[in-house]
Amino acid sequence: MNHPRDNDLALLAGGEAGPIRRFLLDRHVRTCADCRQTIAEYREFRAGLADQELPDLNWNFLAADMRANIRLGLEAGACVRTTHVFGGWNRRLGIAFAGLALLVGSGFFLRDLRFHRPAAEVSAPVLQMTASGVEIRKGENSLTLLNHHGNAATNQTVSAEGDMEVRNIDGETGSVTINNVSLQ
Amino acid sequence: MSLCNKGTAAVLAVLFTAGLHAQTTALSPSDSIKIDLPADSPLNLISTTMGLTLRNAGARHIRGVTLLITAQEFAPGGKGSVARPSIDVPPGENFTLPIDIRLVRPVRETAGPLVRVQLDGVLFDDLSFYGPNKLNSQRALTFWEVEAQRDRAYFKQALQARGQTGLQQEILASIAKQADRPQLDVSLSRNGPAVGSAVPSTDHMAQFAFLNLPGAPVQPLEGWAAISGNEARSPQIEVINNSGKPVRYVEIGWLVKDKQGREYLAGSVPASESAMVLPAGQRARLQQDTALKFSRAGRPVEIDGMTAYVSQVEFADGHVWVPSRRDLDSSPLLRITAPSPEEQRLADIYAKKGLPALVAELNRY
Repeated sequence: MNHPRDNDLALLAGGEAGPIRRFLLDRHVRTCADCRQTIAEYREFRAGLADQELPDLNWNFLAADMRANIRLGLEAGACVRTTHVFGGWNRRLGIAFAGLALLVGSGFFLRDLRFHRPAAEVSAPVLQMTASGVEIRKGENSLTLLNHHGNAATNQTVSAEGDMEVRNIDGETGSVTINNVSLQ
Repeated sequence: MSLCNKGTAAVLAVLFTAGLHAQTTALSPSDSIKIDLPADSPLNLISTTMGLTLRNAGARHIRGVTLLITAQEFAPGGKGSVARPSIDVPPGENFTLPIDIRLVRPVRETAGPLVRVQLDGVLFDDLSFYGPNKLNSQRALTFWEVEAQRDRAYFKQALQARGQTGLQQEILASIAKQADRPQLDVSLSRNGPAVGSAVPSTDHMAQFAFLNLPGAPVQPLEGWAAISGNEARSPQIEVINNSGKPVRYVEIGWLVKDKQGREYLAGSVPASESAMVLPAGQRARLQQDTALKFSRAGRPVEIDGMTAYVSQVEFADGHVWVPSRRDLDSSPLLRITAPSPEEQRLADIYAKKGLPALVAELNRY
């Protein structure tokens, strides 16, 4: 019996396989106890991960750092690509690349769309509370009203109309300052 | 490489992020912030060195101030504001408003000020108002002031009826309630799901349960929101005006329950801008097209139930209604609502300076 690859079983276990692949994998798994066992182990592993406490990290910082590294990699790759690798036209290689492009293109259109949002939404402005204050972010641009003297803000309030506010108490005067960001 | 810059003054820290190189630059407020106060403003600008120091140049006591912050290049599609409620500034006195801002964007040369600060409104002790009111500051400052009057009266009454021991018991109960209050992290966006939704499965419509406060002039009738895991979208609530007066604004407090049965204050559902003029006895629907994503300690909080109550009403004549202290004590659920800024300030005075300072503050006005 030909068994599916482990990464396909992992995608199936996580509910992330596309509809056609899921159908094929389900058909195999119904008759294969070994693969069912593998899927059960993956699910147990995922459940264990979900129970882990996330470390208290500055995720925005990490995201920015990762973006920087990716860009660095892309730029380095661009330098490498200036060298001509292929001396001439290779018909078999061309067919192989065409097949690969077809496969990637099919995968793109057959993927489970529930897990992806339209690109327009990514650049929509988002309001959020961060460790340093209340923030409005759109793409790479952001404006943050910082907590006073770096104190933790209290009593975050959100209005479904598109407002988010936090309160800060001045350590010296005891006055309450309310920082608010809102969508226009 | 520091990604965060905090200043002790009115610091404008600009963080350039250009992919590979990030640097933080603290800019001088005089070069980078443009401060606009109208010529007839009741506030004079005194200094920008330690926050914005302003002087009450009018003839009445000031109870609240809101400043509008715009930085269009950094926050297209949004704006900010800094408000100082629960103050009592006599004519001729100065007060300071801290404005600490961080701006982030890709490297680009810019000329001129990056941030514009404008006066949006000033509320006086007779509840009269000055300002362009672009942010509806009059309404917000008035609600905060009415809540402040309610809470000051409550603690003063405790002091008069039961002495300093009674006041101490009440303020300790308030501090305990504030400490126990569970809070959610919420991100909010318009037009589609909030960023980072944990379980983007098919939406289902969940109905609100309602807490009817005995004295509320407006009553919620039915309502629902689309729920996907830890995300709630497009809440809508139908209300009826049970008072004898026309209403021009209603806000509904929104509580959510997680799968473990814990309740949180999620936010509020207000009437949309200008959509609301609700005659006596008539119905209206509050509807908002936003998505809220809930998490706690970095983990998504899946929504299992929702409860709502009327938290603010503004009548057409400008008078406002807020729940009484008795209303807020009428259900254990309402223990999780946020205290007023004034109650928070009074609790802070007690915690930092003790009972005599709190008594002196309550006797001040």
